[in-house]
Amino acid sequence: MPDQQTSPFIHRTGFGLLLLVGAFALAGPALVGVDPAAQSLGDSLLPPDARHWLGTDVFGRSVLARLAQAAQRSLGLALLAALSAALPGVLAGVCASWCGGRIERALVMLADACMAVPGLLLVMLFAAMAPGHYWALYAGLALSLWVEYFRMARAASRPVLHGDAVQASRLLGFGRRYILRHHVLPALAPLLATLLPLSVAQAVLALAALGFIGVGLQPPTAELGVMMIEFFPFYSEAPWLIAAPVTLLVFLVLGMMLLAGNKEHT
Amino acid sequence: MNQTPPNPARRRLLNATGMAALAAASGRLLAQTTPRPLLIVSSWEISGLSPAASGYIFTRLQVTETLLGSRDDGTPEPALAGRWQVSADGLEWRFELRPGARFHDGSPVSAQAVLHSLERVRTPPGLLATVPIRSMDAPDGKTLRIRLRSPFVLLGSVLAHSSTMILAPASFDAKGTVREVIGSGPYRVAKLEAPHQVETRVSEYYDSPRPAIGAVRYMAAGRAETRALMAESGQADLAWNLDPASITRLRSRNAVGISSVTLPRTLAVSLNAGIPGLSDVRVRRALSLSIDRAGISRALLREQDLAATQLMPPTLAGWHEPSLPPLTRDPATAARLMREAGWTASPAGWRDAKGQLLELRLQTFPDRPELPVLAAALQAQWREAGFAVKVSIGNSGDIPLAHRDGSLQMGLAARNYAMLPDPTGTLAQDFAPNGGDWGPAGWSSPIVSDALQKLLRGGLTPDEQRAERRRILLALQQELPVIPVCWVRAHVAVNRRLEGVRLDPLERSFRLTEMRWKA
Amino acid sequence: MSPRHLLHWRGVLLRRALQIVALLLIIGSASFLMVRSLPGDMAMRVAASRYGYDFVGQAAAGAVSQALQLQRPLWQAWLDWFSDLLRLDLGESLVSGEPVWHEIAHHLGASIDLAVVTLLLAVLIGLPLGIAAAWRPGGLADRFMLLFAVTLRATPAFLLGILLMLLLAVHWGVLPAAHDDQGGTLWLPALTLALGLAAGLARISCSALREALASPACEFARSKGLTDLQVLIRHAFRLAALPVLAYLGVHLVLLVEGTVVVESLFAWPGLGHALVHAVFARDVPVIQGAALSLGLVFILFNLLLDTLMLAIDPRQRKPGASDA
Repeated sequence: MPDQQTSPFIHRTGFGLLLLVGAFALAGPALVGVDPAAQSLGDSLLPPDARHWLGTDVFGRSVLARLAQAAQRSLGLALLAALSAALPGVLAGVCASWCGGRIERALVMLADACMAVPGLLLVMLFAAMAPGHYWALYAGLALSLWVEYFRMARAASRPVLHGDAVQASRLLGFGRRYILRHHVLPALAPLLATLLPLSVAQAVLALAALGFIGVGLQPPTAELGVMMIEFFPFYSEAPWLIAAPVTLLVFLVLGMMLLAGNKEHT
Repeated sequence: MNQTPPNPARRRLLNATGMAALAAASGRLLAQTTPRPLLIVSSWEISGLSPAASGYIFTRLQVTETLLGSRDDGTPEPALAGRWQVSADGLEWRFELRPGARFHDGSPVSAQAVLHSLERVRTPPGLLATVPIRSMDAPDGKTLRIRLRSPFVLLGSVLAHSSTMILAPASFDAKGTVREVIGSGPYRVAKLEAPHQVETRVSEYYDSPRPAIGAVRYMAAGRAETRALMAESGQADLAWNLDPASITRLRSRNAVGISSVTLPRTLAVSLNAGIPGLSDVRVRRALSLSIDRAGISRALLREQDLAATQLMPPTLAGWHEPSLPPLTRDPATAARLMREAGWTASPAGWRDAKGQLLELRLQTFPDRPELPVLAAALQAQWREAGFAVKVSIGNSGDIPLAHRDGSLQMGLAARNYAMLPDPTGTLAQDFAPNGGDWGPAGWSSPIVSDALQKLLRGGLTPDEQRAERRRILLALQQELPVIPVCWVRAHVAVNRRLEGVRLDPLERSFRLTEMRWKA
Repeated sequence: MSPRHLLHWRGVLLRRALQIVALLLIIGSASFLMVRSLPGDMAMRVAASRYGYDFVGQAAAGAVSQALQLQRPLWQAWLDWFSDLLRLDLGESLVSGEPVWHEIAHHLGASIDLAVVTLLLAVLIGLPLGIAAAWRPGGLADRFMLLFAVTLRATPAFLLGILLMLLLAVHWGVLPAAHDDQGGTLWLPALTLALGLAAGLARISCSALREALASPACEFARSKGLTDLQVLIRHAFRLAALPVLAYLGVHLVLLVEGTVVVESLFAWPGLGHALVHAVFARDVPVIQGAALSLGLVFILFNLLLDTLMLAIDPRQRKPGASDA
């Protein structure tokens, strides 16, 4: 439900911001054209200048090149995790409210069970089994994110499925696919659009938190979370370093919030 | 709307819950008014009470003592034993205990008590297990006698190691497990909350002059940034294990003093000289010649002079040989050596005659935060020189494990050569013919083994000792089974109100008894 | 109590009890898998934690392996653990040798202190901001709230923690930087965690209040001649309380996750910190203990919220209403 106060301009700004971040992640590495792994210890911790737009890190690597690569990698991983959480989550949610009865109760119970174990804990256990591996992080993240989609999809599809429009469609003899495509999906789409960037941001932060406690991806991988950890010790000497990945995240979250309007989804 | 009227009883219940929660938390919320003890913060956690596990924390806090102490150069000095003698054949050692020494429970430090304590630590990994002991006994109340099966000159060093610290008989339970740390040092444990903190007070029973600092609190805080900010805000008086970035920051802010000491610790890469590529000394030298040690020292360690020109730093006087040709960076020579050894350059890296790519794996661990950073720098520098190296950051146990199963290729660690005050012990372990846990694998040198044997047997004149050490160092420099990268300097942030802080290069003691508050 | 009321209570308790069982099973199996797929040698790992990186080696690993009977078959270790768990015995820490309950109890108290103060702070910061923003849409408070929410959503907890430390401990010197048992050390970690929660709380309470104010009940109240303020206090708060509580229920999990990072930053001796250390050390009994306790705290807090929701809104006392 879009908020009355949100103007189309704000929506467009939000969308534009998200596009910008996405474009940077997709095309950034090619545009920057500098090897993000090339070190030059003589150029350690240079402030931003014409040659290095975002300065250099302690190894003398170009922060811009690393940020571009990191944006690609982290957003990719986070998006993948969010999508693979969203798909089964939404399906299960719609299925629960469609079928009702025993199936719904079983699915709710499963979701409750997953909710009992805090997400980061799950990711941590997975990551501890295979430190520094993408699949462990991905699996852990996806497992911890799906419940949110399940709850959302179940809550949002119930009024639609029990509503007059669906009843009418059923009476007219339209099949399941039609109902899903023409009734349920339109109701879910805006909610999904706000939840997805949110969980991407959440996943990136979770990756950072894992890096902080030492079970995430390891340097020298350029990844937003790892970058934050790497740059973190230089917060006073070279504050522009830590500012770079955080600003990127701020853009992501801001874009998402503007797009979603002044509404928080629980 | 069918709202029920507010239920007053329920309200009260809610209020009470909130108040109770606040009251429970208030102990931690409100500042207390007792006089503030000296606060030390470091990264070492108290992982257990057994001497081999966290003994070093209690010896550093001067809660416990070892039989012998050590001077900064690694030679033994009196501690709990006031005097000691070694028989002419080196097989019998007699230790005379300090007459006035008492444990913190008031009981005297008798030879029987010392014997009881030492008997408990004769199992691995306690270092006493490595000593060829025939028997230990107490001929009288204040004398301890240790008989050996073969001469072992390092016994004095072992008895100065924290894993042989002396605990009162009351510290152990019936099964011999340590339940309480009752030592004989100037400070006694007042409160212990493992693994985070321990609080100590001056012991009433200590037989030497009363230290000026009456109470000490030791805290373990995992993050270097946290420790630096604790020091900067004046919360902590001594902050150990600070990272280069924090040191740079603290120096520029000038709010605290910084004390530094170069340790007998070297950041070095242990190689497996038994695998095809690395068995050739020319490849090992090429690897060494490709390292920009000065750059690493300057940019990553933020120090001008830590580039290792040889294994041991100049501060370890007996083991630093100024006449050795220094390790340098020379990419041209490195490439020439590789070609001479039969390797050809390709975009992916060096290939042997059959076209097989030289691919190496560098293992390290994050316990010391500089290690992963150094590994990343080494990887990039080696890549520049054509070496394809993969970095794997695991646990500190992974390198000894890779040693055992033979999978080690390269292992980066910060090896402490003064784990025993006399570096001979660690060297003998690392460069043993079958390879130690942390030394090179698949490498042995008759010269080094012979020289180490002579040093271990003892009885050498200082000149002979120097000559044997020089043989070892020269062989290691030429053969490079271990590639030294940088030396290590410890930095401690010190409260400006505190004076008398003198760091121990052997990391054996915080030397709290020498400190005092400025008037 | 009415039979209907009781029925609902039974539903809530049953749901949480099921969660507890699920928690036991999931954590138990995850730990089992962990033991099975440990990279590297378990004895060596435990030795590394027990004796430190200077001292770890084959002698140390041998001693550990012998002391812990690590050669036992896995299924046997697993059965032993499970039967111990049913007797509420979590075993002993592989690293320190202390009983796990003993270690956990120490950490649990610290974690609960942190969680309670965090919740109180979050409510104290978030609710007034949300109410102010709802009171005048598009006003100063509303805009500030968006800024607040965006910044906090995008700032990792460790960065926020360091900034607060710098500001409050170093520059102003009003609070101690990290835990040292001297008192006053709870504020900074609690504030770090609370700010993140408060940002969400402000947004959700704002939108819930706006919805409530636009609801027929409030319209009716206004038409009765009540002032805006009276409507807000008498009707809207009560209506808005439910979504706020529901939000807290879901996002309490942020608290649990935050503690892992924040506790290690502030050296706070809580469960999260214990868990991180145990994961490093492969101290499986402590991992199990800490993860179980964290999950239990989470479920119990949720139970508390269930109770609050029941107390506030009688409409909730319909079977099946709470699991939406």
